[in-house]
Amino acid sequence: MAKKSKLESRGGSEIRGVDLVEVERLLAFMEKHKLEEFEYEREGIRIRLKKASAHAGGAIRVVSAAEIGRPEEMHAAAPAPKSGGAASRGSAAAAGADIHLIKSPIVGTYYAAPSPGADPFVEKGARVEPGQVLCIIEAMKLMNEIESDVAGEIVEIFAQNGSPVEYGQPLFGIRPQSKK
Amino acid sequence: MFRKILIANRGEIALRVMSACKELGIATVAVYSEADRHSLHVRFADEAICIGPPRSSDSYLNIPQVISAAEVANVDAIHPGYGFLSENANFAEVCEASHITFIGPSPTMIRMMGEKDRARAEMGAAGLPIIPGSDGVVPDEDAAKKVAAEIGLPVMIKAAEGGGGRGMRIVRTKRELIPAFLTARAEAEQAFGSPNVYIEKLIENPRHIEFQVMGDRHGNVIHLGERECSIQRRHQKLLEESPSTALDPGTRERIGRQVVEALRKVGYSNAGTVEFLRDASGDLYFIEMNARIQVEHPVTELVTQVDLVKTQIRVAAGERLDDAVGSFQPRGHAIECRVNAEDPDTFVPSPGHITTFRVPGGPGIRVDTAAYADAVIPPYYDSLVAKLIAHGRDRAEAIARMQCALDGFVVEGIKTTIPLHKRILADPDFVAGKFDTHFLEHLASVEAK
Repeated sequence: MAKKSKLESRGGSEIRGVDLVEVERLLAFMEKHKLEEFEYEREGIRIRLKKASAHAGGAIRVVSAAEIGRPEEMHAAAPAPKSGGAASRGSAAAAGADIHLIKSPIVGTYYAAPSPGADPFVEKGARVEPGQVLCIIEAMKLMNEIESDVAGEIVEIFAQNGSPVEYGQPLFGIRPQSKK
Repeated sequence: MFRKILIANRGEIALRVMSACKELGIATVAVYSEADRHSLHVRFADEAICIGPPRSSDSYLNIPQVISAAEVANVDAIHPGYGFLSENANFAEVCEASHITFIGPSPTMIRMMGEKDRARAEMGAAGLPIIPGSDGVVPDEDAAKKVAAEIGLPVMIKAAEGGGGRGMRIVRTKRELIPAFLTARAEAEQAFGSPNVYIEKLIENPRHIEFQVMGDRHGNVIHLGERECSIQRRHQKLLEESPSTALDPGTRERIGRQVVEALRKVGYSNAGTVEFLRDASGDLYFIEMNARIQVEHPVTELVTQVDLVKTQIRVAAGERLDDAVGSFQPRGHAIECRVNAEDPDTFVPSPGHITTFRVPGGPGIRVDTAAYADAVIPPYYDSLVAKLIAHGRDRAEAIARMQCALDGFVVEGIKTTIPLHKRILADPDFVAGKFDTHFLEHLASVEAK
């Protein structure tokens, strides 16, 4: 089921310019017609709903008019391929404009901790510095350390430990804060 | 048989390989750059993994990213398509080391055929007729002068590691030789990373004739007939057909036999194309071999009814040719027109947003494409938009069907080579089967008058 609760828990059931009741109606429309992916644009707002894999659940991505490059017409896509990035991208986009996203530079498997059973590199709420290791992405038997490029606070961790990640997939959301 | 295959390519060939996989009950994994996020090959695959930003070198040519995607998706094999990593011996080796089957020839074969002067030497030693030329790479100016004197002008200087017309120079007079030698080396270095060139006698007004081959992993090799690809612009093929009007059955049988023998000797497996130039007197000379599936493979598929891509997968999985191909009988005539996103007169690339895309159909018509209405043809990759192939009982019917199909192929929003193909198909010399690789130049200059 869609992760609507994620948005609601941000204190309120409103996203500027979007009628959540309408979004719920679109989700019901998708369910009824067994759609995997649905895109809709009206009055400068483009809504794209895409079902990701079963455990990640659905994700809602709301794009404001400013982000729209080119107007797209309403269309329902063929069943979408399973893509690990979908859920993570969806919730990342809803994160807000002041959040700096750390995106994966490679394809691989995401690990939150340096070894199985060890404490994760960072948790939500942690303060990080530029150059600090946030996670490991394993690719071709090599462990690649992914570092933060900003100083700030980890407000969101999008990737799941042990799951595959693709190029450009959001891993962390950091609220940049200058050093005190 | 493989459970899951990753297609390390994009566009129409990625879709083509995916069809073959689906027919064999094999799951498909697509990889894509950010520029191809909305591509059909991404949408139709069972799984899709983004592997990089738009530039090929950062995505489709990025071996670590492709292999990593293959591991993450837990595939059994990778099909490289054509172009990109398909003739990269190092990539084939990395696949092997990662316990992923590379659907194509062995790294040894890729390497042998990739070094053009070496391929020439090996195929010559294995019994194929080769163009008189240098014994391998021409190392310096003195050697160049010597070779040119031995084989006689005019000669062609060619990049040893190259293709696609770059690093090539024609020399007709002694005076031109050294400057051309040096420029060709510089261009080869730029394009392919190696300045090595070799020299061959120039065949004037040649026809380009290539044989499709297939080998299994048990030492068996067959050929599936030839294709004529003389309609070219700057060494880029534009229109291909099978059979060639220039080959009589005797020559076809003889060259076909020699090709199969030579490839058995060197131990070739999987798909490949052996390219020849035919001179004015009808003699064929080996020029190079492409160790991969080719763009124009549908022409052979329609004439032989053999699915070459499915066969590639099956022989890579260990099947014998007898089972994977069986017997076949060439039937009729097929022509392919490459519909490129280019200005039909100037050939300037025309990437952009396709507004109308109406594809022809009917008897004997096949269209291989990843384009669709509202798609965007990005500027980062090749300009091929669609392959239009027509088959008929004979060449006349194939031409008639192609003309009809071209009339019914409507593409708007970008420029395409469709108008040029219509002119080619209407040309009396083309219809009479009288042409060589200079045909397109002549067509252009005739119209200029």
